[in-house]
Amino acid sequence: MRTLTDSKTAIAFAAGLTLVGALAGCSTTTSPTDDTTDATMPDTTEETSSPTDTTDSGDATYADGTYSATGQYQSPNGTETLDVTITLQDDIITDVQVVGEGTNPNTIRYQGEFIGGIAAIVVGKDIDEISVSKVAGSSLASGGFNAAVETIKADAAA
Amino acid sequence: MPPSRRSRPTLPPSLEFEAIGTRWQVDSAEALEPELVLAMHERIARFDATWSRFRDDSLVRRIAREPGSWRLPADAPPLLDLYRRLYVATDGAVSPLVGRSLEVLGYDAAYSLRPSGPARPAPAWEDAVRWDGSTLTAVRPVMIDIGAAGKGYLVDLVGELLVAGGATGVVVDASGDLRRWDAAPGYRVALEHPADPTKAIGVIELGGRAICASATNRRAWGNGLHHVLDATTGLPTSRVIATWAIAPTALVADGCATALFFADADRIAEEFGVQFVRVHSTGRVEFSPDLDGEMFL
Repeated sequence: MRTLTDSKTAIAFAAGLTLVGALAGCSTTTSPTDDTTDATMPDTTEETSSPTDTTDSGDATYADGTYSATGQYQSPNGTETLDVTITLQDDIITDVQVVGEGTNPNTIRYQGEFIGGIAAIVVGKDIDEISVSKVAGSSLASGGFNAAVETIKADAAA
Repeated sequence: MPPSRRSRPTLPPSLEFEAIGTRWQVDSAEALEPELVLAMHERIARFDATWSRFRDDSLVRRIAREPGSWRLPADAPPLLDLYRRLYVATDGAVSPLVGRSLEVLGYDAAYSLRPSGPARPAPAWEDAVRWDGSTLTAVRPVMIDIGAAGKGYLVDLVGELLVAGGATGVVVDASGDLRRWDAAPGYRVALEHPADPTKAIGVIELGGRAICASATNRRAWGNGLHHVLDATTGLPTSRVIATWAIAPTALVADGCATALFFADADRIAEEFGVQFVRVHSTGRVEFSPDLDGEMFL
Protein backbone atom coordinates (compact mmCIF):
# COMPACT_ATOMS: atom_id res chain seq x y z
CA MET A 1 0.00 0.00 0.00
CA ARG A 2 1.17 3.48 -0.73
CA THR A 3 0.23 6.62 0.98
CA LEU A 4 -0.09 9.96 -0.69
CA THR A 5 -0.93 12.76 1.61
CA ASP A 6 2.05 15.04 1.84
CA SER A 7 1.70 18.24 -0.12
CA LYS A 8 4.98 17.45 -1.85
CA THR A 9 3.36 14.35 -3.22
CA ALA A 10 0.41 16.31 -4.45
CA ILE A 11 2.72 18.57 -6.38
CA ALA A 12 4.47 15.63 -7.93
CA PHE A 13 1.15 14.10 -8.79
CA ALA A 14 -0.31 17.19 -10.37
CA ALA A 15 2.78 17.80 -12.43
CA GLY A 16 2.94 14.22 -13.58
CA LEU A 17 -0.65 14.08 -14.65
CA THR A 18 -0.44 17.35 -16.44
CA LEU A 19 2.52 15.93 -18.25
CA VAL A 20 0.56 12.93 -19.43
CA GLY A 21 -2.20 15.26 -20.52
CA ALA A 22 0.28 17.36 -22.41
CA LEU A 23 1.60 14.32 -24.19
CA ALA A 24 -1.78 13.02 -25.09
CA GLY A 25 -2.82 16.37 -26.38
CA CYS A 26 0.41 17.34 -28.04
CA SER A 27 -0.34 16.61 -31.61
CA THR A 28 -3.64 17.50 -33.12
CA THR A 29 -1.76 17.26 -36.39
CA THR A 30 -0.97 13.62 -35.59
CA SER A 31 2.69 14.48 -35.72
CA PRO A 32 4.14 13.10 -32.53
CA THR A 33 7.29 15.11 -32.92
CA ASP A 34 5.43 18.39 -32.45
CA ASP A 35 6.76 20.64 -29.81
CA THR A 36 4.73 20.43 -26.61
CA THR A 37 5.62 23.76 -25.11
CA ASP A 38 2.14 25.10 -25.79
CA ALA A 39 0.59 22.44 -23.60
CA THR A 40 -0.57 22.95 -20.05
CA MET A 41 2.58 21.96 -18.21
CA PRO A 42 3.25 24.55 -15.56
CA ASP A 43 6.95 24.35 -16.21
CA THR A 44 8.98 23.16 -19.15
CA THR A 45 8.21 20.12 -21.18
CA GLU A 46 10.65 18.87 -23.76
CA GLU A 47 10.15 16.15 -26.25
CA THR A 48 13.22 14.01 -25.86
CA SER A 49 12.59 11.15 -28.22
CA SER A 50 10.56 10.41 -31.28
CA PRO A 51 7.81 7.88 -31.48
CA THR A 52 8.74 4.43 -32.49
CA ASP A 53 6.70 2.05 -34.50
CA THR A 54 4.26 4.63 -35.76
CA THR A 55 1.39 3.28 -37.78
CA ASP A 56 -1.87 4.67 -39.06
CA SER A 57 -4.93 3.36 -37.37
CA GLY A 58 -8.19 4.33 -38.96
CA ASP A 59 -9.98 7.25 -37.31
CA ALA A 60 -7.63 7.64 -34.38
CA THR A 61 -6.79 11.23 -33.58
CA TYR A 62 -3.24 10.38 -32.61
CA ALA A 63 -0.80 8.14 -34.37
CA ASP A 64 -0.15 4.86 -32.64
CA GLY A 65 3.24 4.60 -31.08
CA THR A 66 5.39 5.21 -28.08
CA TYR A 67 5.87 8.77 -26.94
CA SER A 68 8.38 10.04 -24.45
CA ALA A 69 8.81 13.36 -22.74
CA THR A 70 10.60 14.86 -19.82
CA GLY A 71 8.70 17.01 -17.41
CA GLN A 72 9.96 19.26 -14.68
CA TYR A 73 8.13 20.50 -11.66
CA GLN A 74 8.93 22.52 -8.60
CA SER A 75 8.94 20.67 -5.31
CA PRO A 76 10.05 21.87 -1.89
CA ASN A 77 13.33 20.12 -2.72
CA GLY A 78 13.86 22.22 -5.84
CA THR A 79 13.32 21.43 -9.50
CA GLU A 80 12.62 17.75 -10.07
CA THR A 81 12.45 15.80 -13.29
CA LEU A 82 10.28 12.93 -14.43
CA ASP A 83 10.59 10.99 -17.68
CA VAL A 84 7.28 9.72 -18.96
CA THR A 85 6.73 7.25 -21.76
CA ILE A 86 3.28 6.37 -22.97
CA THR A 87 2.13 3.90 -25.56
CA LEU A 88 -0.87 4.84 -27.64
CA GLN A 89 -3.02 2.51 -29.65
CA ASP A 90 -6.23 3.72 -31.28
CA ASP A 91 -6.17 6.81 -29.06
CA ILE A 92 -6.04 4.70 -25.92
CA ILE A 93 -3.08 4.77 -23.59
CA THR A 94 -2.08 1.14 -23.29
CA ASP A 95 1.02 1.62 -21.19
CA VAL A 96 2.56 4.30 -19.04
CA GLN A 97 6.10 4.28 -17.74
CA VAL A 98 7.42 6.96 -15.46
CA VAL A 99 11.02 7.25 -14.40
CA GLY A 100 12.04 9.68 -11.71
CA GLU A 101 15.41 11.32 -11.56
CA GLY A 102 15.23 12.62 -8.04
CA THR A 103 18.23 12.58 -5.80
CA ASN A 104 16.67 13.91 -2.61
CA PRO A 105 15.45 11.03 -0.41
CA ASN A 106 11.99 12.58 -0.11
CA THR A 107 11.79 13.05 -3.85
CA ILE A 108 12.75 9.45 -4.46
CA ARG A 109 10.15 8.30 -1.99
CA TYR A 110 7.32 10.37 -3.40
CA GLN A 111 8.26 9.79 -7.00
CA GLY A 112 8.36 6.10 -6.17
CA GLU A 113 4.84 6.26 -4.84
CA PHE A 114 3.70 8.21 -7.84
CA ILE A 115 5.43 5.94 -10.30
CA GLY A 116 4.11 2.82 -8.64
CA GLY A 117 0.60 4.11 -8.42
CA ILE A 118 -0.10 5.69 -11.73
CA ALA A 119 -1.54 2.55 -13.25
CA ALA A 120 -3.73 1.82 -10.23
CA ILE A 121 -6.61 3.84 -11.58
CA VAL A 122 -9.78 2.25 -10.37
CA VAL A 123 -11.83 0.55 -13.05
CA GLY A 124 -14.89 -0.75 -11.26
CA LYS A 125 -17.58 -3.29 -12.08
CA ASP A 126 -21.27 -2.90 -12.74
CA ILE A 127 -23.11 -3.21 -9.46
CA ASP A 128 -25.74 -5.27 -11.25
CA GLU A 129 -23.11 -7.89 -11.98
CA ILE A 130 -21.87 -8.44 -8.45
CA SER A 131 -23.78 -9.98 -5.60
CA VAL A 132 -24.00 -7.61 -2.66
CA SER A 133 -26.30 -6.90 0.25
CA LYS A 134 -25.74 -3.15 0.29
CA VAL A 135 -24.07 -0.35 -1.56
CA ALA A 136 -22.03 2.17 0.42
CA GLY A 137 -21.82 5.42 -1.44
CA SER A 138 -21.76 9.00 -0.43
CA SER A 139 -24.73 10.15 1.53
CA LEU A 140 -27.70 11.01 -0.61
CA ALA A 141 -28.56 14.59 -0.02
CA SER A 142 -32.00 15.45 1.27
CA GLY A 143 -34.80 16.77 -0.87
CA GLY A 144 -34.34 20.22 0.60
CA PHE A 145 -30.71 20.36 -0.33
CA ASN A 146 -31.36 19.12 -3.85
CA ALA A 147 -34.17 21.62 -4.32
CA ALA A 148 -31.87 24.42 -3.22
CA VAL A 149 -29.24 23.35 -5.72
CA GLU A 150 -31.86 23.36 -8.47
CA THR A 151 -32.86 26.88 -7.44
CA ILE A 152 -29.38 28.29 -7.70
CA LYS A 153 -28.90 26.55 -11.04
CA ALA A 154 -32.10 28.16 -12.31
CA ASP A 155 -30.97 31.53 -11.01
CA ALA A 156 -27.64 31.12 -12.72
CA ALA A 157 -29.37 30.36 -16.02
CA ALA A 158 -31.79 33.26 -15.76
CA MET B 1 -40.55 12.24 12.16
CA PRO B 2 -43.49 9.92 12.91
CA PRO B 3 -43.29 6.24 12.00
CA SER B 4 -44.91 5.33 8.75
CA ARG B 5 -48.52 4.24 9.19
CA ARG B 6 -49.49 0.87 7.84
CA SER B 7 -52.52 -1.29 8.28
CA ARG B 8 -50.57 -4.33 9.48
CA PRO B 9 -50.24 -5.13 13.16
CA THR B 10 -46.45 -4.91 13.02
CA LEU B 11 -44.10 -3.12 10.68
CA PRO B 12 -42.18 -5.09 8.05
CA PRO B 13 -38.58 -6.20 8.63
CA SER B 14 -37.28 -3.41 6.41
CA LEU B 15 -38.25 0.03 7.54
CA GLU B 16 -37.53 3.08 5.45
CA PHE B 17 -37.88 6.67 6.50
CA GLU B 18 -36.26 10.08 6.18
CA ALA B 19 -34.57 11.71 9.17
CA ILE B 20 -31.87 14.31 9.82
CA GLY B 21 -31.88 15.21 6.14
CA THR B 22 -31.16 11.78 4.71
CA ARG B 23 -32.72 8.44 3.83
CA TRP B 24 -32.67 5.62 6.40
CA GLN B 25 -33.26 1.90 6.07
CA VAL B 26 -33.45 -0.36 9.11
CA ASP B 27 -33.47 -4.12 8.53
CA SER B 28 -34.12 -6.77 11.18
CA ALA B 29 -34.70 -10.51 11.34
CA GLU B 30 -38.23 -10.06 12.67
CA ALA B 31 -40.57 -7.13 12.24
CA LEU B 32 -39.84 -4.44 14.81
CA GLU B 33 -42.43 -3.89 17.48
CA PRO B 34 -44.26 -0.58 16.98
CA GLU B 35 -43.19 0.58 20.45
CA LEU B 36 -39.59 0.04 19.48
CA VAL B 37 -40.04 1.96 16.24
CA LEU B 38 -41.59 4.79 18.19
CA ALA B 39 -38.70 4.80 20.67
CA MET B 40 -36.27 4.89 17.76
CA HIS B 41 -37.90 7.95 16.25
CA GLU B 42 -37.95 9.64 19.63
CA ARG B 43 -34.24 8.94 20.00
CA ILE B 44 -33.51 10.44 16.60
CA ALA B 45 -35.61 13.49 17.44
CA ARG B 46 -33.72 13.97 20.70
CA PHE B 47 -30.38 13.75 18.90
CA ASP B 48 -31.57 16.28 16.33
CA ALA B 49 -32.74 18.67 19.05
CA THR B 50 -29.26 18.65 20.55
CA TRP B 51 -27.00 18.62 17.55
CA SER B 52 -28.77 20.05 14.50
CA ARG B 53 -27.06 23.13 13.19
CA PHE B 54 -30.13 23.65 11.01
CA ARG B 55 -32.75 24.30 13.70
CA ASP B 56 -32.93 27.46 15.70
CA ASP B 57 -33.96 25.75 18.94
CA SER B 58 -31.14 23.19 19.00
CA LEU B 59 -28.56 23.12 21.77
CA VAL B 60 -25.68 23.83 19.38
CA ARG B 61 -27.44 26.93 18.06
CA ARG B 62 -28.02 28.12 21.63
CA ILE B 63 -24.34 27.59 22.42
CA ALA B 64 -23.50 29.62 19.30
CA ARG B 65 -25.63 32.49 20.61
CA GLU B 66 -24.62 32.29 24.25
CA PRO B 67 -21.01 31.38 25.01
CA GLY B 68 -20.38 30.05 28.47
CA SER B 69 -20.44 26.69 30.22
CA TRP B 70 -22.93 24.11 28.99
CA ARG B 71 -23.47 20.72 30.52
CA LEU B 72 -24.02 18.47 27.51
CA PRO B 73 -26.38 15.49 27.30
CA ALA B 74 -25.17 11.95 27.95
CA ASP B 75 -24.61 11.20 24.28
CA ALA B 76 -22.02 13.98 23.98
CA PRO B 77 -18.87 12.49 25.55
CA PRO B 78 -18.20 9.67 23.03
CA LEU B 79 -18.78 12.10 20.17
CA LEU B 80 -16.65 14.95 21.44
CA ASP B 81 -13.93 12.60 22.68
CA LEU B 82 -13.68 11.12 19.19
CA TYR B 83 -13.67 14.61 17.69
CA ARG B 84 -10.76 15.55 19.92
CA ARG B 85 -8.78 12.54 18.66
CA LEU B 86 -9.69 13.35 15.04
CA TYR B 87 -8.64 16.95 15.57
CA VAL B 88 -5.23 15.85 16.82
CA ALA B 89 -4.78 13.15 14.16
CA THR B 90 -5.56 15.56 11.30
CA ASP B 91 -3.61 18.52 12.71
CA GLY B 92 -6.82 20.47 13.14
CA ALA B 93 -8.38 19.79 9.73
CA VAL B 94 -11.30 17.85 11.27
CA SER B 95 -12.94 20.03 13.92
CA PRO B 96 -16.38 20.32 15.48
CA LEU B 97 -15.97 24.10 15.33
CA VAL B 98 -16.37 24.28 11.56
CA GLY B 99 -20.02 25.40 11.60
CA ARG B 100 -19.38 29.05 10.75
CA SER B 101 -16.98 28.04 7.97
CA LEU B 102 -19.78 25.99 6.39
CA GLU B 103 -22.27 28.82 6.83
CA VAL B 104 -19.95 31.30 5.12
CA LEU B 105 -19.76 29.00 2.10
CA GLY B 106 -23.55 28.81 1.98
CA TYR B 107 -24.17 25.47 3.72
CA ASP B 108 -26.48 27.08 6.24
CA ALA B 109 -29.84 26.44 7.84
CA ALA B 110 -31.66 27.99 4.88
CA TYR B 111 -29.56 26.05 2.33
CA SER B 112 -28.74 29.40 0.74
CA LEU B 113 -25.81 27.67 -1.01
CA ARG B 114 -24.31 31.03 -1.79
CA PRO B 115 -21.02 32.07 -0.26
CA SER B 116 -21.56 35.11 1.94
CA GLY B 117 -17.89 36.00 2.29
CA PRO B 118 -14.36 34.69 2.02
CA ALA B 119 -13.55 31.25 3.40
CA ARG B 120 -13.24 31.35 7.13
CA PRO B 121 -11.03 28.95 9.11
CA ALA B 122 -12.56 27.41 12.21
CA PRO B 123 -11.14 28.70 15.48
CA ALA B 124 -8.45 26.56 17.05
CA TRP B 125 -9.92 24.18 19.64
CA GLU B 126 -7.79 25.51 22.49
CA ASP B 127 -8.66 29.11 21.67
CA ALA B 128 -12.40 28.61 21.60
CA VAL B 129 -13.60 25.82 23.88
CA ARG B 130 -12.82 23.71 26.91
CA TRP B 131 -14.22 20.19 27.09
CA ASP B 132 -13.79 18.33 30.37
CA GLY B 133 -15.75 15.22 29.43
CA SER B 134 -19.16 16.49 30.49
CA THR B 135 -19.18 20.28 30.32
CA LEU B 136 -18.35 22.35 27.28
CA THR B 137 -17.15 25.88 27.93
CA ALA B 138 -17.21 28.19 24.94
CA VAL B 139 -15.00 31.19 25.62
CA ARG B 140 -16.39 32.84 22.52
CA PRO B 141 -19.32 32.17 20.17
CA VAL B 142 -18.73 28.89 18.32
CA MET B 143 -21.00 27.11 15.87
CA ILE B 144 -20.55 23.41 16.51
CA ASP B 145 -21.04 21.15 13.51
CA ILE B 146 -20.84 17.39 13.98
CA GLY B 147 -21.18 16.57 10.29
CA ALA B 148 -17.91 14.62 10.28
CA ALA B 149 -19.11 11.90 12.67
CA GLY B 150 -22.62 12.68 13.88
CA LYS B 151 -24.61 10.60 11.43
CA GLY B 152 -22.50 7.53 12.08
CA TYR B 153 -22.93 8.07 15.79
CA LEU B 154 -26.69 8.22 15.40
CA VAL B 155 -26.56 4.93 13.46
CA ASP B 156 -24.85 3.41 16.53
CA LEU B 157 -27.41 4.89 18.92
CA VAL B 158 -30.37 3.71 16.86
CA GLY B 159 -29.02 0.19 16.39
CA GLU B 160 -28.06 -0.17 20.05
CA LEU B 161 -31.55 0.91 21.07
CA LEU B 162 -33.12 -1.67 18.77
CA VAL B 163 -30.81 -4.47 19.93
CA ALA B 164 -31.44 -3.57 23.57
CA GLY B 165 -35.15 -3.74 22.78
CA GLY B 166 -34.83 -7.32 21.58
CA ALA B 167 -34.36 -6.91 17.82
CA THR B 168 -31.99 -9.30 16.05
CA GLY B 169 -30.18 -9.24 12.73
CA VAL B 170 -30.25 -5.47 12.82
CA VAL B 171 -28.71 -3.45 10.00
CA VAL B 172 -28.99 0.32 10.17
CA ASP B 173 -28.22 2.13 6.92
CA ALA B 174 -28.36 5.92 7.00
CA SER B 175 -27.35 6.40 3.37
CA GLY B 176 -23.60 6.19 3.43
CA ASP B 177 -23.26 5.17 7.06
CA LEU B 178 -24.06 1.54 7.74
CA ARG B 179 -23.65 -0.80 10.69
CA ARG B 180 -24.66 -4.42 11.14
CA TRP B 181 -25.36 -6.11 14.49
CA ASP B 182 -24.83 -9.64 13.18
CA ALA B 183 -21.43 -11.17 12.55
CA ALA B 184 -22.63 -13.92 10.19
CA PRO B 185 -20.39 -14.01 7.08
CA GLY B 186 -21.62 -13.36 3.57
CA TYR B 187 -22.80 -9.81 4.02
CA ARG B 188 -21.10 -7.98 1.19
CA VAL B 189 -21.16 -4.24 0.72
CA ALA B 190 -20.28 -2.65 -2.61
CA LEU B 191 -18.23 0.54 -2.67
CA GLU B 192 -20.03 2.88 -5.02
CA HIS B 193 -17.86 4.40 -7.74
CA PRO B 194 -17.59 8.12 -6.92
CA ALA B 195 -18.14 9.09 -10.54
CA ASP B 196 -20.69 6.45 -11.55
CA PRO B 197 -23.36 5.16 -9.15
CA THR B 198 -24.03 2.16 -11.38
CA LYS B 199 -20.53 0.87 -10.72
CA ALA B 200 -18.65 -0.43 -7.71
CA ILE B 201 -14.93 -0.04 -7.18
CA GLY B 202 -14.80 -2.94 -4.74
CA VAL B 203 -16.67 -5.14 -2.34
CA ILE B 204 -16.22 -5.43 1.43
CA GLU B 205 -17.10 -8.39 3.61
CA LEU B 206 -18.68 -6.46 6.46
CA GLY B 207 -19.31 -9.01 9.20
CA GLY B 208 -20.62 -7.35 12.35
CA ARG B 209 -19.01 -3.98 11.75
CA ALA B 210 -19.74 -0.55 10.38
CA ILE B 211 -18.75 0.99 7.06
CA CYS B 212 -19.08 4.68 6.41
CA ALA B 213 -18.60 6.42 3.08
CA SER B 214 -17.90 10.02 2.36
CA ALA B 215 -17.55 11.79 -0.95
CA THR B 216 -17.43 15.32 -2.19
CA ASN B 217 -19.69 14.84 -5.20
CA ARG B 218 -22.95 14.87 -3.26
CA ARG B 219 -23.88 17.84 -1.11
CA ALA B 220 -21.88 19.93 -3.53
CA TRP B 221 -23.09 23.22 -4.87
CA GLY B 222 -20.82 24.31 -7.66
CA ASN B 223 -17.46 26.03 -8.11
CA GLY B 224 -15.71 23.40 -6.05
CA LEU B 225 -17.97 24.06 -3.08
CA HIS B 226 -18.96 21.05 -1.02
CA HIS B 227 -19.37 20.07 2.59
CA VAL B 228 -16.00 18.49 3.38
CA LEU B 229 -13.99 21.43 4.69
CA ASP B 230 -10.48 21.69 6.01
CA ALA B 231 -11.14 23.48 9.29
CA THR B 232 -7.70 25.09 9.24
CA THR B 233 -8.52 26.97 6.03
CA GLY B 234 -12.30 26.89 5.82
CA LEU B 235 -11.96 25.68 2.24
CA PRO B 236 -13.40 22.53 0.66
CA THR B 237 -10.78 19.84 0.17
CA SER B 238 -9.98 18.63 -3.33
CA ARG B 239 -7.16 16.08 -3.31
CA VAL B 240 -9.33 13.17 -2.17
CA ILE B 241 -12.81 12.73 -3.63
CA ALA B 242 -14.15 9.64 -1.85
CA THR B 243 -13.36 7.66 1.29
CA TRP B 244 -14.61 4.59 3.14
CA ALA B 245 -13.70 3.48 6.64
CA ILE B 246 -14.58 0.16 8.27
CA ALA B 247 -14.61 0.00 12.07
CA PRO B 248 -16.43 -1.70 14.95
CA THR B 249 -18.68 1.34 15.39
CA ALA B 250 -20.22 3.74 12.90
CA LEU B 251 -19.07 6.66 15.07
CA VAL B 252 -15.43 5.77 14.50
CA ALA B 253 -15.99 4.74 10.87
CA ASP B 254 -17.78 7.99 10.03
CA GLY B 255 -15.20 10.18 11.75
CA CYS B 256 -12.35 8.33 10.06
CA ALA B 257 -14.03 8.53 6.65
CA THR B 258 -13.87 12.31 7.07
CA ALA B 259 -10.33 12.27 8.47
CA LEU B 260 -9.15 10.29 5.44
CA PHE B 261 -9.67 13.39 3.32
CA PHE B 262 -6.99 15.18 5.27
CA ALA B 263 -4.48 12.88 6.91
CA ASP B 264 -2.07 10.14 6.05
CA ALA B 265 -4.24 7.03 5.68
CA ASP B 266 -1.76 4.84 7.55
CA ARG B 267 -1.84 7.23 10.46
CA ILE B 268 -5.62 7.14 10.63
CA ALA B 269 -5.71 3.35 10.25
CA GLU B 270 -3.22 2.88 13.04
CA GLU B 271 -4.61 5.49 15.43
CA PHE B 272 -8.23 4.37 15.12
CA GLY B 273 -7.90 0.71 14.15
CA VAL B 274 -9.87 1.06 10.93
CA GLN B 275 -9.63 -0.40 7.45
CA PHE B 276 -9.92 2.13 4.66
CA VAL B 277 -10.34 2.79 0.95
CA ARG B 278 -9.91 6.17 -0.62
CA VAL B 279 -9.97 7.61 -4.13
CA HIS B 280 -7.81 10.57 -5.04
CA SER B 281 -8.96 13.25 -7.45
CA THR B 282 -6.58 11.69 -9.98
CA GLY B 283 -8.63 8.49 -9.95
CA ARG B 284 -5.95 6.66 -8.03
CA VAL B 285 -7.18 4.37 -5.29
CA GLU B 286 -5.53 3.51 -2.01
CA PHE B 287 -6.67 0.86 0.46
CA SER B 288 -5.69 -1.07 3.56
CA PRO B 289 -3.39 -4.02 2.99
CA ASP B 290 -5.59 -6.02 5.37
CA LEU B 291 -8.88 -5.03 3.74
CA ASP B 292 -11.58 -7.69 4.11
CA GLY B 293 -12.73 -7.55 0.56
CA GLU B 294 -11.80 -7.13 -3.05
CA MET B 295 -10.93 -4.07 -5.10
CA PHE B 296 -11.76 -3.91 -8.81
CA LEU B 297 -8.55 -2.42 -10.18
